[in-house]
Amino acid sequence: MSRQFSIIVFLLTALFFALFFLWPIAETLCGAFVGSDGKFTISYITEVFRNPLYLEGLWNSLQMGVWSTLLAAFIAIPLAWVSDRFLFPGKSLLGSLVLVPMIMPPFVGAIGIKQILGQQGALNALLKDIGCLNPAHPIDWLGEGRIWGVIVLNALHLYPILYLNVLAALANVDPAMEEAAENLGCRGLRKFRRITLPLIIPGIFAGGTIVFIWSFTELGVPLMFDFTRVTSVQIFYGIKDIGGNPFPFALVVVLLCSTVLLYVGSKLLFGRDSYSMMAKATSQGGPRKAGLALGLLCSGLFGLVTFLAILPHIGVILVAFSTDWYQTILPSGLTLSHFEAALGHNLTLPSIQNSLKYAGLATILDMVLGVAIAFVVVRTRLPGRQILDAMAMLPLAVPGLVLAFGYLAMTQEGKPFAFLNPTIDPLIILVIAYSVRRLPYVVRSAAAGFQQTSVTLEEAAQNLGCPPLRTLRRITIPLIAANLIAGGLLAFSFAMLEVSDSLILAQKQQDFPITKAIYELYQLLGEGRYLASALGVWAMAFLAVAIIGTSLILGKKLGAIFRA
Amino acid sequence: MIAITIENLVKKFGDTVALSGITLRIEPGELFFLLGPSGCGKTTLLRNIAGFYIPDEGRILFGDEDVTNLPPYKRNTGMMFQSYALWPHMTVAENVAFGLEERRVRSADIRQRVTAALESVQMGQYTERKIAQLSGGQQQRVALARALVIRPRCVLLDEPLSNLDARLRLEMRSEIRRVCKENGLTAIYVTHDQKEALSISDRMAVLEGGRIAQIGTPEQVYRRPITRVVADFIGETNFLKGKMLSFDGAKAVIETVGGPFEGFLGDPDWKPSAGDEVILSIRPESWSLRGEPAAVNAVKGRIGESIYLGEVAQYILRTAHNDLKIFELNPHLSARCQGQEFFAVASAADVVVLKP
Repeated sequence: MSRQFSIIVFLLTALFFALFFLWPIAETLCGAFVGSDGKFTISYITEVFRNPLYLEGLWNSLQMGVWSTLLAAFIAIPLAWVSDRFLFPGKSLLGSLVLVPMIMPPFVGAIGIKQILGQQGALNALLKDIGCLNPAHPIDWLGEGRIWGVIVLNALHLYPILYLNVLAALANVDPAMEEAAENLGCRGLRKFRRITLPLIIPGIFAGGTIVFIWSFTELGVPLMFDFTRVTSVQIFYGIKDIGGNPFPFALVVVLLCSTVLLYVGSKLLFGRDSYSMMAKATSQGGPRKAGLALGLLCSGLFGLVTFLAILPHIGVILVAFSTDWYQTILPSGLTLSHFEAALGHNLTLPSIQNSLKYAGLATILDMVLGVAIAFVVVRTRLPGRQILDAMAMLPLAVPGLVLAFGYLAMTQEGKPFAFLNPTIDPLIILVIAYSVRRLPYVVRSAAAGFQQTSVTLEEAAQNLGCPPLRTLRRITIPLIAANLIAGGLLAFSFAMLEVSDSLILAQKQQDFPITKAIYELYQLLGEGRYLASALGVWAMAFLAVAIIGTSLILGKKLGAIFRA
Repeated sequence: MIAITIENLVKKFGDTVALSGITLRIEPGELFFLLGPSGCGKTTLLRNIAGFYIPDEGRILFGDEDVTNLPPYKRNTGMMFQSYALWPHMTVAENVAFGLEERRVRSADIRQRVTAALESVQMGQYTERKIAQLSGGQQQRVALARALVIRPRCVLLDEPLSNLDARLRLEMRSEIRRVCKENGLTAIYVTHDQKEALSISDRMAVLEGGRIAQIGTPEQVYRRPITRVVADFIGETNFLKGKMLSFDGAKAVIETVGGPFEGFLGDPDWKPSAGDEVILSIRPESWSLRGEPAAVNAVKGRIGESIYLGEVAQYILRTAHNDLKIFELNPHLSARCQGQEFFAVASAADVVVLKP
């Protein structure tokens, strides 16, 4: 395609990134490093590390990140290994089901998990019934400050990302590598530790980094657990006086620096693309058929993990349908009245409309940007295209909370973008926020499409008189449509359940998207959790449709989208 | 029908010079071949003509029009790609109609022209098929129809037959010539298969390291190669080392270790003087095997291995100094047993004298 055109596309996408990715971050940095006298200062940052409340928040955030990642790895690695090695009954179905938790909104699941693991919850009721528990001393499964509830929920939500990465890394390992080890007398776990694990370490870290960044800065889940001594929630509460208080800025900068350092560090350490396998795979390798007992064991493992991961959401669904659920294993009665009440509530219908509008527009913007960036990166030789590529992936490294905060900061009164201030109308800024956050997935899937589509197919069209842009529309886009639809569906479903942007940027009731409406409903005393659950069930139904569509279209390629 | 003129074309990729100063004129209606070993620049040259590469220096003219910097979609060339590049999301008819739609042809005309184009390549009954449902040969025909239906100024063919099996290749190459000639099209055909080039080209250019080694009709290039590389690349040949003795009119007399040879110079611009080292190129089929010696153009040897192919037999003749490949048409194998001594004799017209 013509060079000028490529350059224009390049410049436009770069401009978008500068304005809506770098600028908000810069605005946040300014807030953190520029004192009230307009001079540079690091006193806000140092104050963060002196204030015991902020320090405790950071410590808790770190724990939340580390333990969530470890727990997710503990779930994901054995799963991936089993899936790579064995054929077992129901493998393809279970293999897709095990991914479902990824798109289940964890902060809605929090309602369910509290219902199940809380002191008056279903698990304790079950234990009481079978006589293992003294009713006078119920066990607090969620732990002091409920941090364990947050960690479990994060891990159960995020392990699919690690699973997909590890699975891809395992698939890349030449079976001959392991055969050579066996030939030299190394087998079993020892072989896994000495040969397989080192070979898949890059994959584990690629996925682990994303999981860590995600859980380290998670806002929705701790909020639902009232776990306030964690940096993300402290920032969220600090937003109320964003005009006068520099400490939210400083906290955001501390979060941002830690995640970027981690991301860059893991890229440098492990990013030199996995070990290149010297030889072409010589033996067939591939999974072998497991015997009946082993096969059932494998199926059972996948089933168990999936069950545990969607248990919180089952809890949500039960809450949504229950008349009352207190100190019993299952709800004491079923009813549809909460759905009616939820639909009747003046928050609900507008929020569904809003979410559809925001997420739809964000998806369209993502598609346009994603195709443009993927085109420049894959199809042109412009200098600087790798920078664009890296930038498009950076939203994975920058927490949503940080960006949302940056958008808020850059649209404050007196700033150049004040006309986008979300208190007036959050539409534009929310759409941009949603799309920037999900852009990496769309770029990835579009780039994969471009790579799979031979350039000669485009050249043939130009040879027959079709100008470049029309070639894109008539030849390339139809050929990569499957990838685009998959990336788009994914972007859409994530946008529908985006938490941090929605909680921070939607400030007036009539602008609330679903997630903020759930949060607000949950705050209502009395039937709040039932209404919130009912709305959550609606949201999950939307998502289920989207993800099933995506996996039907993409099949096994789904994993490629979630790589850092 | 247009002439295509290429003037001093240079194309570099970074530090590698892919084309270093190509000058060429292709006559209107000519079926012109670009031939050469892989990496010689033939595909690069074709892609410059199609507009997918912009040359660093030089000009390309279609007729009188300078198209050097014209984007590909404005050149009105019909290109056939090595991979065919048929769009898998369209049917046969949609593929062929594409170029006409881009030219805003009325839809009634499109239908008629698509049908006619597909008929002319005997694909009339497959219009509604998807590309994946076609065989290699059928895809090749559709690609040809798609390139021709737009009535291009010239046809560009990039190794169009390399993905076909040997039998189909034979059939399709005469088909391509027929279609080009019937439509009076100027066509440029890139291949590394010398048989394709010899059999259907009007003229050909042999490329070597980004330069043109020789331009000529198949007969000229085959019978009078001007460099050793061309002689080696087109057809099979035997090389004999020798020293220039004298000229006998246009005939050059050469001294070799096996005896005196007479032949003609391959490169008309080159005049060796007495005592210069030269190389003789003599094709395997130019030799005849005799029982008795000859005064010039003869070597003595014994028959080594032989391959009998029916219409032709291939022998290795072991002489005192080297082995010669010799083909004999309508062979009488019974008389040619291994180890028997013969004299191989070539006529002066079949001996080409080349720069070493």
